[in-house]
Amino acid sequence: MATLDGFRTKDFLDQITILNDIAGSKDPAFLPALIELFEHPTGDTGVDYMVVGALNAVLGTSESAVNLGLGSSHDPFRTLCIRTAGEYAFASAAEPLSRMAAEETDPDLLVEILASLAKIRPVGGAAVFRNFLNHSDPMIAAMAMEMAGVYADPLALPTLMDTVQAAGSDGRYETCEITTWKAIDALAAIATPESLAFLVGCVHHQNPTARRIITDALVRLGEAALPYLEPVYINGSTDDRILACNIAGFIGQRKGADALVRAFDSGRFTDPNVRYAAFEALGRIGTLKGLVCLVDGLEENDELILMAVVTGLERHAAPGVLKTIAERISSGTENSPRIAKAIVASRALRLFQDLYKDELVAVALMGALRQSQDQTVLDAFAHRLEQMGTERSRADAASLPRAKAATRKALAADDSKSMLALYRSILTDMGFEPLLAANGQEAYAFIESGEFVDVVVTDMNMPIMDGVELVGKLRASLGYEDVPILMVTTESENSQRDVAAKAGVTDFITKPFKPAAIKATLLKLLESRPASSLA
Amino acid sequence: MDVELAKPFVKAAMDVIGTMAFITPRAGKPFVKKNTIATGDVTGLVGLTGDGKRGSVSISFQKSCAVAMVKNMLGDDIQDIIQDVKDAVGEITNMISGQARAGLAEKGLVLQGSTPTVIMGDNHSITHIAKSPIMAIPFETDQGNFTIEFCFE
Repeated sequence: MATLDGFRTKDFLDQITILNDIAGSKDPAFLPALIELFEHPTGDTGVDYMVVGALNAVLGTSESAVNLGLGSSHDPFRTLCIRTAGEYAFASAAEPLSRMAAEETDPDLLVEILASLAKIRPVGGAAVFRNFLNHSDPMIAAMAMEMAGVYADPLALPTLMDTVQAAGSDGRYETCEITTWKAIDALAAIATPESLAFLVGCVHHQNPTARRIITDALVRLGEAALPYLEPVYINGSTDDRILACNIAGFIGQRKGADALVRAFDSGRFTDPNVRYAAFEALGRIGTLKGLVCLVDGLEENDELILMAVVTGLERHAAPGVLKTIAERISSGTENSPRIAKAIVASRALRLFQDLYKDELVAVALMGALRQSQDQTVLDAFAHRLEQMGTERSRADAASLPRAKAATRKALAADDSKSMLALYRSILTDMGFEPLLAANGQEAYAFIESGEFVDVVVTDMNMPIMDGVELVGKLRASLGYEDVPILMVTTESENSQRDVAAKAGVTDFITKPFKPAAIKATLLKLLESRPASSLA
Repeated sequence: MDVELAKPFVKAAMDVIGTMAFITPRAGKPFVKKNTIATGDVTGLVGLTGDGKRGSVSISFQKSCAVAMVKNMLGDDIQDIIQDVKDAVGEITNMISGQARAGLAEKGLVLQGSTPTVIMGDNHSITHIAKSPIMAIPFETDQGNFTIEFCFE
């Protein structure tokens, strides 16, 4: 049996052996002697550290001693008891801890008390945390918000909603405070009709970081968020509708696709950007109703929308779908060549392989393919034709043109696959070798790896690193001080454009655009560059 | 809980830099990072694992702040400023990680910390591997600024 008698006079090995034994036995009889050792340390860091461990282990078996310790006048011991109460979730400590929380003025100790209460999670604890939602220390306020979410405290809603709203006010949207993040997550966790409708109403939050957190929170909620998205399709602004479509696509549930189809059927989606986003979402979800809607989308005559339709169909190609596409291509209508071109530009190799079996359709597809200037696209299709191994396909593969080798490079960043495919086709048409990135970080990685590009096209809102930040980083990179940067945006707020312009964007183009418009803008930007920098 | 985990690191950073380098940092308002990239001139980075969680903590110093710390720690005994800055930032990061983890262990949260990695280069960037948002806490000192970034999932 270990004993603490004469502990201070023992040698180091004996001391740590004894403490180890006590930590293992957890015998409350050692408590007074351990507290004495804790309050008057030996001075040997190793031994004192083990005293804390042993004391913590023994306190873990003695709820009453911990409660007593919460009132200790020895600050370190009181802190240890606060921590132990939380670690072992002593329910009887909740009451004294709640009282201490109300009176404590030292923020560090307050964090300890609240963290401990959070672990005990007493019934009715929501009221304690609610008092700190507006605390001047953002860490404490953030903690209270986390707990409002854990308790699903409806009375916290007004403060949480105010916090999210305030983060979008003028001058505050460039940085996102941690309270905004925690308030959004808490609103999602509370998940009442009021909190979810509020979050959905904020999908186009002024603050880009907050906007991304809201999108992530709604996607995480999944099916529960879907009923709140549908009203946005009817009443929301264009930007709201686009973002709601994106979220429904990421959630990927059948109900989400049904709502999108309903919105199409009732004529809510007239704006081309909304149609584009809705088709992209339907392509992600891939239900039967969604596929029917995508097939209807083959009637679209906007190149960009057609690419979203084709990309969606490529994912879920079914025999019935293939038959309809084949009919549309061989029908010789005005849209037939557009569909063929969209299949080539979005590299829909699966669709291509199946459609190619019909000789008439194959002729139309090969016609579209021969017009492509993009070597990567040509190579991909040539490879597929070779793989198909028929005489006709091999002959077609051999007949494909070799694209002119591009000498200039262009960088395009967009989180939409269809948009990237469109940029690829536009940029190669213009004689650029395109470097494509799904977000700012990927785009910047090209520059860091030593690539040099003559022009940059970037989306504004992208995950991981947004367009504005990418532009800021490019402008700070050697050689990129005056490379033309074109930002593609659907943003209606001038404030967002101001931020982008300040970061160094050369020009903006608003979606939707015709490929010819973006080509003209890029040519204008390239021509207006000083001659010396083009060398 | 992120805050409960982050707070000990903030406190440890203020303690360690105050005690070892005689520099008094003033903590600014914590914010959520727009991306997963930390930028600075000298960065100390530790990976953390334990309790079913993993994450990383980085401390990125402006050059002026890192140099001031080394001067305060070594006095006139600076041999090779680059090597000494690297050592000092590594050492300070290690001490902060150790002190913060000792505090967390008292609450039953035992985390293992990796040996710090130090990255140097004017305005370099490093990437945190995280799906969750990253919390950043800016600090000001009379000798320059530094930022602690914290991500845990």
